[in-house]
Amino acid sequence: MATYTVRKLDLRSLLQKIMQSSELIAPVKTDLVRFQVVEDPHDICLTEQSFYPVKEFIFRKHEVLVSFNGKKVITPVLEPKERVIFGLRRCDLNAIMHQDKALIEVDVNYRAQRQNLTLIGYHCNEAPSQYCFCGTLELKDFYDMMFFDRGDEFIVDVATENGSRIIGKYPEFFRKSNHKVTEADKKIKNADRLFKTDISKLYDHPDWQKGVDKCLSCAACTSLCPTCYCFEIKDEVSIHDTKKVDRVREWSSCQLKGFSRVAGNHVFRDNRKERFKHRIYHQLDYFKKRYGINMCVGCGRCITACPTRIDFVDIINGMK
Amino acid sequence: MTKPKVGFYGLTGCAGCQLSVLFSEDEIVSVLGLIDIVSFPFIREKNIDQHFDICIVEGLVADKHDLETLKKLRENSSILVAIGACAHTGNVPAYRHYTLKENYQHLLYEKKEGIQDIDPTPLDSWVKVDYTIPGCPPDKREIMNFIKALLLGKEPLTYSSPVCVECRRNNNLCLLEEGKLCLGPITRGGCNSVCTNGSFECWGCRGQTDDANIPAFVALLQEKGFKREEILKRMREFVGLKLPESTMVFFNGNNNA
Repeated sequence: MATYTVRKLDLRSLLQKIMQSSELIAPVKTDLVRFQVVEDPHDICLTEQSFYPVKEFIFRKHEVLVSFNGKKVITPVLEPKERVIFGLRRCDLNAIMHQDKALIEVDVNYRAQRQNLTLIGYHCNEAPSQYCFCGTLELKDFYDMMFFDRGDEFIVDVATENGSRIIGKYPEFFRKSNHKVTEADKKIKNADRLFKTDISKLYDHPDWQKGVDKCLSCAACTSLCPTCYCFEIKDEVSIHDTKKVDRVREWSSCQLKGFSRVAGNHVFRDNRKERFKHRIYHQLDYFKKRYGINMCVGCGRCITACPTRIDFVDIINGMK
Repeated sequence: MTKPKVGFYGLTGCAGCQLSVLFSEDEIVSVLGLIDIVSFPFIREKNIDQHFDICIVEGLVADKHDLETLKKLRENSSILVAIGACAHTGNVPAYRHYTLKENYQHLLYEKKEGIQDIDPTPLDSWVKVDYTIPGCPPDKREIMNFIKALLLGKEPLTYSSPVCVECRRNNNLCLLEEGKLCLGPITRGGCNSVCTNGSFECWGCRGQTDDANIPAFVALLQEKGFKREEILKRMREFVGLKLPESTMVFFNGNNNA
């Protein structure tokens, strides 16, 4: 739509203004970098990739789908407040887009969380982690605004009405620019390490075993994946009135045995190898067959967080 | 509906599990509306030995008196529940199975009449246990969920996933990365990762998951500089007599990599 510049030394003041009318969520560094509700813009960390992804603010860890009050079923009324997320990397933004594909039409709770939400990106010039591999995954432009870091200033690309509204609200921070954002601006250095993105014919390759042997099935990979959206549903009966029940959804993971357990105690993916491959095939094959795009965004968090550092990118690259 | 008659008992133990039941302050009054606590010697003077629909037992068998009590409770109960790590695995007291008597003999009480020592053993070494609520101490939400499930005629579900699942959900820093000997990846969760939330490593009190990848986990810990003996010691500490056979085989086998 339009391009602007923002002086770097004005960024904190801009975010402070935004915080006056919206909740601001951004990467904050303590012992780790996590997305959280910002209390002071000075806490925001843009120099590292966030260890935990942003997804918990949209696809909630624990939420009530419906309640039964003893007489009738009640659907919770979800009134999303005005929220701005700042500091999303290209991978984080694409991950939201991929979750949208799977959930936004069919899932009321997810759709509600996506309302009144402005997404402001911070573009990487260089891969922030040694495990990044977004370069070969054909990520798209998906944001309301994107900040490109150019030393003393940011070039800000505004892509939507939502983004324009921020410019209109705080014009004192934005200067119109003639710069046209090009492919060169969007190039992220050192992020091209996944050489093979078509794994459809490699399912029976013996090299998967290299990962399986080291896999603890601890589900760190799926917990930290910004795209994974597997869940379980259970009924929570009130101890105070056993006629009252909340039907609750919680995050789950395909890496856990219990995830594919059904009535009669049958477990569909009892075998660690099947579970291990299922995640990677969902990310790089099954999702693509259904939605025409890879689910994986190449952020590398599943490797950074894996206790045994299983690097499936290396495994795939090495397959002959 | 008649309320089920429930007894809470403690054998040899620290009473922490019975306290976990009592510490459910927000729920306990409602619980009293659902069950009839007919016996709870820890907090009540007069208790009736009678038939229990559900009997919840903490602690382990460490002397003859414990054994007599346990056998009697079993006879009197339709459903017998082991609550907490001692009742479930033998916990720390059972560690003496793994060491020589001379290492602990000086710590034993003097032999007195009336105390007849038995090697510390979990409940299911002696009687049939219908359900187990694991943990040292158990999570109070889990105690409530267990009671609710029984009342509703549902099969109580034991949490089967590793502690890491809840720990990551709580956005914690991984303690293995901090160089701590954390057993989270091989330990059954359901505790809301209470220890690791406070940066204290998991000692595995709830028992191993049935899906633990022991060779990979031990290799990882050895890479981080831990010795096999200290890994095995940590794994046994709270799991008592319930360290899986496959883990024992792994440590006894020729795996001195």
